[in-house]
Amino acid sequence: MFYREAGQFYTSYAKDQGIFQLRQDKYGLWGILFIAFIVVPVGLYLMVQGGLMAASTKDYLYNSIFLLLLVNSMAALGLNILTGYCGQISLGTAAFMGVGAFTAFKFSTGLNYRIQHEDDAGELVSQLVPLLPAIDNPILLVLIAGAVTAVVGVIFGLPSLRIKGFYLAVATLAAQFFLVWCFSRVEWLYDYVSSSTIQIPPLKLFGLVVTGSETVMRDGQQVTIYPAAETKYLICLSLVVFFAFVAKNLVRGRIGRAWMAIRDMDIAAQLIGIRPLATKLLAFAVSSFFCGMAGAMSLIFYLGALEGAEAFNINESFSVLFMVIIGGLGSITGSFLGAAFITLIPIFLVVVLPWLGGQFGIPVDAAMVEHIQFMVFGSLIIIFLIMEPLGLARLWQIGKERLRQWPFPY
Amino acid sequence: MKHSERTFGDTLLKVDNITLRFGGVKAITDVSFDIHERQIFAIIGPNGAGKTSMLNVINGFYHPQEGTITYKGNQRHQMKPHEAAETGIARTFQNVALFRGMSTLDNVMTGRLLKMSGPAMRYHRRQLADMPVINYLTYPAMWLGDFLLDSLYWGPYQKEELAHRKAAEEVIDFLEIQSIRRTPVGRLPYGLQKRVELGRALAMEPDLLLLDEPMAGMNLEEKEDMCRFVIDVNDEFGTTIALIEHDMGVVMDISDHVVVLNYGRKIAEGTPAEVQADQDVIDAYLGVAHEEDLIEQ
Repeated sequence: MFYREAGQFYTSYAKDQGIFQLRQDKYGLWGILFIAFIVVPVGLYLMVQGGLMAASTKDYLYNSIFLLLLVNSMAALGLNILTGYCGQISLGTAAFMGVGAFTAFKFSTGLNYRIQHEDDAGELVSQLVPLLPAIDNPILLVLIAGAVTAVVGVIFGLPSLRIKGFYLAVATLAAQFFLVWCFSRVEWLYDYVSSSTIQIPPLKLFGLVVTGSETVMRDGQQVTIYPAAETKYLICLSLVVFFAFVAKNLVRGRIGRAWMAIRDMDIAAQLIGIRPLATKLLAFAVSSFFCGMAGAMSLIFYLGALEGAEAFNINESFSVLFMVIIGGLGSITGSFLGAAFITLIPIFLVVVLPWLGGQFGIPVDAAMVEHIQFMVFGSLIIIFLIMEPLGLARLWQIGKERLRQWPFPY
Repeated sequence: MKHSERTFGDTLLKVDNITLRFGGVKAITDVSFDIHERQIFAIIGPNGAGKTSMLNVINGFYHPQEGTITYKGNQRHQMKPHEAAETGIARTFQNVALFRGMSTLDNVMTGRLLKMSGPAMRYHRRQLADMPVINYLTYPAMWLGDFLLDSLYWGPYQKEELAHRKAAEEVIDFLEIQSIRRTPVGRLPYGLQKRVELGRALAMEPDLLLLDEPMAGMNLEEKEDMCRFVIDVNDEFGTTIALIEHDMGVVMDISDHVVVLNYGRKIAEGTPAEVQADQDVIDAYLGVAHEEDLIEQ
């Protein structure tokens, strides 16, 4: 009744080529953006001020849930471009995220390299020398990380001209293992620290502290300013929204059509004049760009410090692949739905399982929750692959088609 | 218009002594023919005669071991399928090869991809491509510029997209498939899928259109529609058409020139009437009475 195209006519191709066919969809998106940008921050702030919520709960929501959700959405968007739109399976997502994280780290510390020399006493002295001035703008770092990862992605995408399907997946698996090996073995990448951990230095954006802390003199007293969770959240949200818009524009235009043509029928695509290698490599580049940004966001905003081999292991790759499959291959909305699903289910289980166990008198510890998570994920993936291979996005679409007829089914 | 009254242009495609082997198997042996501009050219023959292989050679999928192809007056080097497409050769397939995940409109729009080089790249081609050294520097810059415009779907790019939408709509109107514009092609019935595939090829505005069994598996009505479209395309756009077809009625009705292949060799060539009267063709299609059979009788 409320959701149908009745009375909506388009008289120009420009309008007809728009992102949304229905006005209601457009309003829906604006509504979601309004909630994400304004209602959530203001609402949580007011709840803390009003004593309805502890400040620590608010920070937990931002730092552990919202930021993770945004990082995962970005990664899922990236993989969906490659796998969902261009049909190239990749198991190297986490490695590409790692490349992004390490690039952001190296540029934020000025691309240090080490020189060693013996001093007068014969002792070996090491010194870190920056190649470039350190960059302290988080958004610039994220973009640089994306660009560098795009180049790495193109290199590892080269085999895609010759191999397809499972074999390509194995080739990208090689990227996964090789790059993760680099993260713990190439000392230059983590500035030669013995723990191979990278930590992002203090960054600022428009005078706001984003990472680390800043000590300033205020009224003759030293005050330490810590980054506000809202700042990180809003920066991440802006990045994700902007790049989701970019991804949508790419996939609905000529580039997206070339990708989908290669995905659906590569022989016919070539006869139309699509260059298979260039098109696939472009998909690898754009996909890696997104994954690299996700990795950089994960380091800068979400984790702050991480160990490459730990944070970007193959489990993370699979996790992003599950997001894309459950969310819906070849759908921008699906990337978000899948990311939300995979991110929120574990958190939900962590909260619900111990409570549920308590009801029946069964002690549920953290390890058990983790095991149950694996079981739930495994069964969900199988269920989705059988019942709805096109994922949550397809369910969403079916729901909308039903809604169009509701409540008069004719 | 009667066949005798139709006039054709120069030779568009000249196939000279083509031999194609797969290992020890000879798919095509020493075949030559000329396709003239504005002609409807039919290749016929029994199953396995090498007709589709011939189209694949023209398309650049297969590279013949011997012989040459001269297209638009230039002898062709060994080229890839997308290069053949750039020279204006379009093609439909025997078993429909549409992009199943996309709508009819997107399939037709995909056919226009070669023409959508992007506004910056077009400027590069027009103004900068002939300059030495500079063209190498501006090429990546222009490419990136186009990519950024694409990613924002903005300004000149949007204008280009809309111009091509208009062209795609003309093809859609021509083929009378307006009502299925937004339908994913996977859901369409077979006859319409064939029509959409023709639309995708037409959207390329080809000089030479190769149709591999455009009427296969259709009922009479659909066949008549398809024949009408083929003749209209040839008539209105002056497109040269080379088609493979098993329905002899269709071939004899619409084609100007027929080549008959059998076991990879050309056994006859000429107007439909000439071919129909050819003893070799009759033997190839109906079988030939061997001497020993005759003796038994």
